[in-house]
Amino acid sequence: MTTTSGAPTPPVKKPKKKGPIRTEAAVPLLIVIVLTWAYFHFLFDRHLRSGLEYLGYQVIGAQVDIANLETSFWKGSFRLQGLQITNSQKPDRNMVAIGDIRFDVLWDGLLRARFVVDEMAVEQIQIDVPRKSPGRVKPPEPIKPEEKGPSAMEKLKDKALQQTEQTYNQNVLGDLAAILGGGSSADQMAKIEGTLQSKERLKQLEASYAEKSKVWQEKINALPKPKEIDALGAKIKAIKTSNFKSPQELVESLNQLKAVAEEADQKYKQLQETGNTLNSDLNQFNQGLKELDALVKKDIAELETRFKIPKLDAKNLAQSIFRPYIEPYLNRFTEYRGMAEKYMPPNLMKKGKPDEAEIQIQPRPRADGVTYEFGKPRAYPIFWVKKISISSKASPTLGTGDLAGLVTDVTSNQILIGKPTTASLKGDFPSMSISGFEFKGIFDNLKADSKISYDMKVAQYPLVGRPLIQSSDVSIAFEKANASIESKGQLVALREFEFTLGNYIKQVDYQIQAKNEVVDEILKNVFKSLPVLTLDVKGEGRLPGLGLAINSNLGPELQRGFENEVKRKIDEAKLKIQNYINEQVGKEKAKLEAEFNKVKGQVDGEVKKLQAQLDSKKQEAEGKMNSAKKDEENKAKKGVENEAKKAAEELKKKLGF
Amino acid sequence: MTLILKQIFAFFRMLNSETGSNQLAWGLALGLVLGFSPFLSLQTFLVLLICIFLRVQMGAAFLSAFFFKFVAFLLDPLTDFLGRKVLESEALRPAFVELYNMPIVPLTRFNNSIVMGSGLLGFVLAIPMFFIFKRLIQQYRVTVVARYKGTKIWKAFAATSFYKWYNKYEELYG
Repeated sequence: MTTTSGAPTPPVKKPKKKGPIRTEAAVPLLIVIVLTWAYFHFLFDRHLRSGLEYLGYQVIGAQVDIANLETSFWKGSFRLQGLQITNSQKPDRNMVAIGDIRFDVLWDGLLRARFVVDEMAVEQIQIDVPRKSPGRVKPPEPIKPEEKGPSAMEKLKDKALQQTEQTYNQNVLGDLAAILGGGSSADQMAKIEGTLQSKERLKQLEASYAEKSKVWQEKINALPKPKEIDALGAKIKAIKTSNFKSPQELVESLNQLKAVAEEADQKYKQLQETGNTLNSDLNQFNQGLKELDALVKKDIAELETRFKIPKLDAKNLAQSIFRPYIEPYLNRFTEYRGMAEKYMPPNLMKKGKPDEAEIQIQPRPRADGVTYEFGKPRAYPIFWVKKISISSKASPTLGTGDLAGLVTDVTSNQILIGKPTTASLKGDFPSMSISGFEFKGIFDNLKADSKISYDMKVAQYPLVGRPLIQSSDVSIAFEKANASIESKGQLVALREFEFTLGNYIKQVDYQIQAKNEVVDEILKNVFKSLPVLTLDVKGEGRLPGLGLAINSNLGPELQRGFENEVKRKIDEAKLKIQNYINEQVGKEKAKLEAEFNKVKGQVDGEVKKLQAQLDSKKQEAEGKMNSAKKDEENKAKKGVENEAKKAAEELKKKLGF
Repeated sequence: MTLILKQIFAFFRMLNSETGSNQLAWGLALGLVLGFSPFLSLQTFLVLLICIFLRVQMGAAFLSAFFFKFVAFLLDPLTDFLGRKVLESEALRPAFVELYNMPIVPLTRFNNSIVMGSGLLGFVLAIPMFFIFKRLIQQYRVTVVARYKGTKIWKAFAATSFYKWYNKYEELYG
């Protein structure tokens, strides 16, 4: 080949045709594989540890620390050491600390996209131990502008709290002290005069009575007068009822009597109508008076609550004293339940109907679809930890407890394995003087509604500096005591909760202080007389509204202790309120009732009297009509007989007799 | 990222050239399968391996995957319905039980209604779409590219030293 200039051109190198396999991709792919291996070998554990710490902080709301974390892809192993979960209430202490958690994931399961663990070991458990440095606590989330105002859930919670507060006065001993102190409530009563509902209603009734009584009087005046009824009687007497000379005379008399009867009937109807109207009005007013009675009772009850007049019965005393003692435990339980509801996979536990459907406009999320599990006997569910062995040996230096336990079948699909999750723990924490701890729990998700049941007891645990009552008037605390506790309960569909709790507190050193000397003495004597303080609680209800029945041997003792001193004062205070109500409402109410009864009596008497009069006149007219008719009948009958006799005589004569 | 961008530029260059219509069409068809599959699944991994080891235009596959991901999102209700119908089919139940309990296969997440529906749709459409894409590429080259290259502007640009330099660079370094 030559160019136009004649110089030879270099031969064009034909590019080598490439085959369908891209061999040059092998090196980049190898690099990617090496980099991936390097990441998992050198960095993954660190990142996973940080990720778990962050996740724990977000979920629990307090700092979570992990000292060491090791994973192995080939062995499918996981090991976590030095887990510390800060107590969000006391950041300088750990809620729980676990020395070692380790497990191996079955490759057999991983190849089937399932997470299956044969046995997980949890060791060196510490509870409520101090931290080296205080842990971070997550601040409460700020309220978004559009979320201001309580949510449906908060409203429910507030309602439940409000109800509780109304039912159980939480400072009953302070109120008893106040009663004993004998503070005057007269001034306060003067201030609330305008707020009495019964007084308002009374005013309304009085106004209504003034208006109605005029109408009633007018109606009474419009009733037929006795003179008018007597005139009817005279009219009846004047009408001829016998010795009629002709049938026309009889018809005339009958017409006159009929006219008088009709007139009497009209008057009767008028009387009846007026009577009915008056009676209906009177009944209405009577109803108003009954309402007034109910309002008086309500006002008395409200005033008793307002002036904190305690109910001096054992049950009420126990409820009021121990409710604040139990409240923190219940709050914590509600917190954990909320956490479970928020973070548990929806198909695992959220089977109960929500309290209120949340309607929000939001963009359509990427649909998740439905994930089916085609299980068969002995198949693996998506997540299954067959056994968690918990063991811990007591060590005074580490502060660990003697704990042994077993948790079985933690799984995403209990139906597939046909078993519920069970947990049993047993042990002592000598460093914390806790002994005889036993816990048995079952999480059963085999039926439509999940059911979590538990049975736990602690044979002995110390109570040090635990306040029972803290108010400006009275403070009672367990300075030092030994306690034991037993509790059983079940939570269905994460909503319906029922439990029983028995708490026995013995060898107690109380710290009792009351401003009022009498109260101080009574309290000291009562508590001194109790060798063992018992507390029995029974709770039942749909969360968060939980009905609690609290009983304690403290209640009757306190009742007995306070009865003599306080009962008189309470009765006095109640009487004061009763008198005040009587003064404000009672007199006017009695006056109104008397007037009303007078009018009612007048109406009843007048109507009855007139009715009787009219009845007699009506009967008289009817009697006369009947006698006139009878007289004429007799006369006609006699005429016929005479005619017959006459005819018979004539016939005899004709026949010759 | 550079690698992906390089592949995307290569896609446009190849689209406007006269070769590699099969590579482009395969790239787009496999991209469709990628778009219809969940990111973390066995089938995605396998299709990616095919894209890497077979001479498929990867830029086309990435662009196509990006585009069909949106299409798959819009088709979610349809694929969900389709997946449910298939997964709830009594006739297929024994097969699914076996597959579900076999190693490796569950990594495809076939037991999810959307994955099953969109997977079916993706694989069924891949072959016909290969031919459609091929035809469209050829049509594009005949109608758009040829007409564009005949314009004076293009001819003027092709005569510039920058264009010659760019051509030389492409010959040497691809």
